[in-house]
Amino acid sequence: MRGRASAFGIAISFALLLAPCGLASDAAARIGADVIVTAAPVYVPLAELRGQERFPKGAQLLLLHADHAEPLVPGFAASADANVYFDGRLVLFAGKQLASDPWQIWELKLKDRSVRKVVVTATDAERPLYLPAGRMVYAVRTTHGFRLDSTDDGHPLPYTPLNPTAGPGELALSYTQANAFPADILKDGRVLFEAGFPLGSGTTPELYLVYADGSGVESYRCDHGQARWGGVQLSSGDVAFTHGVSLARFTSPLAHEERIAAPAAQYAGEIAETASGDWLLSTRASASGPYVLKLWKPGTAAMETVLAKNGESLVEPVLVAPRTTPKRHPSGLHPWDYANLLALDARLSRDGALHGTPVAVRVETQDAAHHAVVMGTAPVEKDGSFFVQVPGDTPIRFALLDAKGAVLRQEHGWFWSRGGEQRICVGCHTGPERAADNRVPAVLLRTTTPADMTHAAQRALTGGR
Amino acid sequence: MSRQAHGRLRAGAVGGMLLIAAAFFAVALWTGDEAQAVITGRVGDPLVYPSPIELLYSPNGTQLYVLCNESDELRVLDASTGAAIKSIQVGHIPRGISLSPDGSRLFVTNTWDDTLSVIDTASLQVVAEWPVGAEPSSVIEDRGGKHLFVANRISNDVAVLNARTGAEEKRLAAGRGASYITPSPDGSRLYVTHVYPNPTPHRTAPESEITVIDTARAVVVDRIPLHSIAHSFHLTFSRDGRLGVVAEMHPKNLVPLAHLEHGGAFVDTLTLFGTDVGDKPVEVPLDELERYAARPFGVLITPDKKFLYVTSEGSEIVTVVDVPRLLRYIHTHQGPFAEDLSASGNYVVTRIAVGHDPRGMALSPDGSKLLVANRLEDTISVIDTHTNRLASTVRLAAPKQMSVLRHGEQTFYTARYSFQGQIACANCHIDSTFDGLQWDLEPDGFGRDIVDNRPIEDLKGTEPYKWNGGNPNLPTECGPRTEKYFWRSEQYDDLTLSDLVTYIQSLPPRPNRYKLPGYELTPAQERGKALFVRAVDKFGAPIPLTNRCVYCHSGPKGTNQKSFDVGTKKATDNPGLLDTPQLTNIALSAPYLHDGSASSLEEIWTVFNPEDKHGRTNDLTKDELNDLIEYLRTR
Repeated sequence: MRGRASAFGIAISFALLLAPCGLASDAAARIGADVIVTAAPVYVPLAELRGQERFPKGAQLLLLHADHAEPLVPGFAASADANVYFDGRLVLFAGKQLASDPWQIWELKLKDRSVRKVVVTATDAERPLYLPAGRMVYAVRTTHGFRLDSTDDGHPLPYTPLNPTAGPGELALSYTQANAFPADILKDGRVLFEAGFPLGSGTTPELYLVYADGSGVESYRCDHGQARWGGVQLSSGDVAFTHGVSLARFTSPLAHEERIAAPAAQYAGEIAETASGDWLLSTRASASGPYVLKLWKPGTAAMETVLAKNGESLVEPVLVAPRTTPKRHPSGLHPWDYANLLALDARLSRDGALHGTPVAVRVETQDAAHHAVVMGTAPVEKDGSFFVQVPGDTPIRFALLDAKGAVLRQEHGWFWSRGGEQRICVGCHTGPERAADNRVPAVLLRTTTPADMTHAAQRALTGGR
Repeated sequence: MSRQAHGRLRAGAVGGMLLIAAAFFAVALWTGDEAQAVITGRVGDPLVYPSPIELLYSPNGTQLYVLCNESDELRVLDASTGAAIKSIQVGHIPRGISLSPDGSRLFVTNTWDDTLSVIDTASLQVVAEWPVGAEPSSVIEDRGGKHLFVANRISNDVAVLNARTGAEEKRLAAGRGASYITPSPDGSRLYVTHVYPNPTPHRTAPESEITVIDTARAVVVDRIPLHSIAHSFHLTFSRDGRLGVVAEMHPKNLVPLAHLEHGGAFVDTLTLFGTDVGDKPVEVPLDELERYAARPFGVLITPDKKFLYVTSEGSEIVTVVDVPRLLRYIHTHQGPFAEDLSASGNYVVTRIAVGHDPRGMALSPDGSKLLVANRLEDTISVIDTHTNRLASTVRLAAPKQMSVLRHGEQTFYTARYSFQGQIACANCHIDSTFDGLQWDLEPDGFGRDIVDNRPIEDLKGTEPYKWNGGNPNLPTECGPRTEKYFWRSEQYDDLTLSDLVTYIQSLPPRPNRYKLPGYELTPAQERGKALFVRAVDKFGAPIPLTNRCVYCHSGPKGTNQKSFDVGTKKATDNPGLLDTPQLTNIALSAPYLHDGSASSLEEIWTVFNPEDKHGRTNDLTKDELNDLIEYLRTR
């Protein structure tokens, strides 16, 4: 009861704050659509990647019309993370009906403002995104941090896809013991997500990709170093993101990021691109100030303030407009609980030449206490190829060993393969820019049966029992 | 002002208006108003579309020759207005076009007639039709007007004809699938490229070549190897002759096809050669990390050597390459470059979206316009070479409706349905045929069930599909299986799938060049046929019904549509039987057997049939096997 009253109080306070507010009319014309934005008295960027609350003093979704702004879901104690459906009529969001509730995933029908809970979880569920073909993805808090999960979006499809992406029902998409949050769905259907680098062990925010069935996880680029977050794909196909104090993008031709020449400011990330190519951005002048909503025409020197709220940050802008539906990923997973991984030439790496000849690969997983556990070793052929069978849906990493068993190169992060996945790596950290040489890997000339790590993994994880 | 003067002025004004109107009309034609014509619905009746495949300006630049691949014609347009001047009927499925050095004659190769049409450019009349080799695909006359050189795709050679009479004087052995001939700027050499890979040992990388011919002597003087290249198309030179460029496809057929990202199936590349490049050819990619230039076909370098234009059939784009930057890049970076998808960012200026299946290009005489033939859209894209932007699109006179077959063909050739637009059906079925390669498909296991790519002509009535017979029909083959294991991305809707299947089923067999007129058999073919149908071996022992050639390879297409164990499975093959392949044009599609391990028909029996499981053949002599082959070639 106290929670409900509290929620009402917050809603009232927002309404009072917003009453005289609206968008500048010329900005509204340039935007050409309604906007939903998350307003919060306190916004702590990247807090969720540390497992903390981004909006420690609550947050509320605002719907910005041409001449006014209003709470989108006034009956909620908190709401954030809006994602508009492809037809522009529905909105997924993370919300708390009561302040004491965990964040849950809701859907709002814009026509009548009716809401329904899409996913019921015992813990926080945040950052929902619509996937094509009746699925959605979000982050759910587990004992190991926020995990990417997907489920049906609750809207029956008018057709049966030739090959579904996943489902029916819930499916975890990430399998490392680290916080991961969906950032965007790319046009090719992959989920762009944020997690620390190295994946599963590091804390530098980085962008990753995974197919909507949890397979094919990889870094978006291997141009690691600076913290990146707030990534979204633009109509050009570029993925724009923030470093906090600057903007940058990944483009299709380049393996490394490209700086975006934007006015000096702190950027929250998560750009909303208008139909005319302008960008809606959340910026602030200093680390202590609130984020305001600005409109910027890329390439120009100045930004126009669209909306500012005294003492509140306005973040996560999204346009209320139809948009192109990304492509559905037709899952090709086999009905197995293991995965087969083929490395074509483990000697290849962006990290430079190996100081020795690898003769074996050590395959490791993690136990419940996050300790690395050796599953076993498999031979590395003279051409650098190896072929292993590993348990699916499990953290994995490799270490290359020389003839004396010394580690020549060790993966710092973790990745996973879905059960039933068969995947090829060109090398060890070669980057997505490196295509495979066209040759039969020596390991497949010797055997087409992968070295089985699944039993060793079982033994290792159960202490040899 | 006098009445007379006013009248003159008015007449002048009217005349001027007419001229302006005419000019406007001309501009309107080239600005592509007609291109906006809405093509709606799909009609079941087959319609004949022009399907422009190559473009050429007349010597004085006033006319544009448009070679129309499906309507079997050469259209002559006014080069400044786009207005139609004449349609000249040529042979069946024309593919190549060139002008004689003096500009008096046009030559067109007709691939299914095996003929060469000779057209007088003054009268625009066909003045001769000469028989040439098998599937002639391009033609060039030497500077001296002595010889015509014709690349024959099926017979893998270049025919040397007397340029006046058309009489064939000799054949020069080229590579497999010889298709496109380009003269060096000084005319002293001819460079021949090939759409199929040369034979290589089983499970090794494909190889192709540029066959170099000394024009004056009409002899092959060099074979420039194209390592790892399976299919090459047009070649071009810079005007100074220092830079040659070939458009080509670099497959990844030896690596399990587990996914498409990172160039998993193909890299689309150019090979550069010549003085500007150095001693060895250099291969460079056109693809990017997330965007491909699927199936490069046409290449053209501007006279000032500033830009290189490349059409990509599957991606429906023209890629613009900055030539100085490209040369600087290859000289300042360590190769090889073909596997680096971030390389093209150093020299690709832009990608210009054009129409369906862009093929040949032509640069206007003043260099201001680049024209692109969009084969499956019946349009010509006009690119402003100063801005490198699409200026207009001109629609050729063509049926206004979309037929099922045309829509199916567009679906077959476009790469838009695959992950990041990397591949299309036509990547492995070059010009709706085959690719001469063997692939390691993911669902069968890495390194297991290596499969030779079978031709797809005359497929109707040969189901099931796949070597293991696992797909009962084409909708299954081209539907869920293709989406999941090839495109790795959401593909076409059911209606489009249906159109695609209709198109594939409509593909007729190419003319069989081994059959005599009237389908009579030569004595050797007759002897071979007797062996094919025999019920008793040479020692008088009866051959069990199921071990006779004619039992499995029965029916009009040479398959009883059943699966058998013919003793050819390898340790790396999964258990199960093998589908009986059809024999349609079997002579063209080496290598053979399910995994392509037999490099010739003869090897099927001499190497891979030790126990006579693949028919009783071990009693036959070399000559008898040759007879059997002679007969099979007629199928």
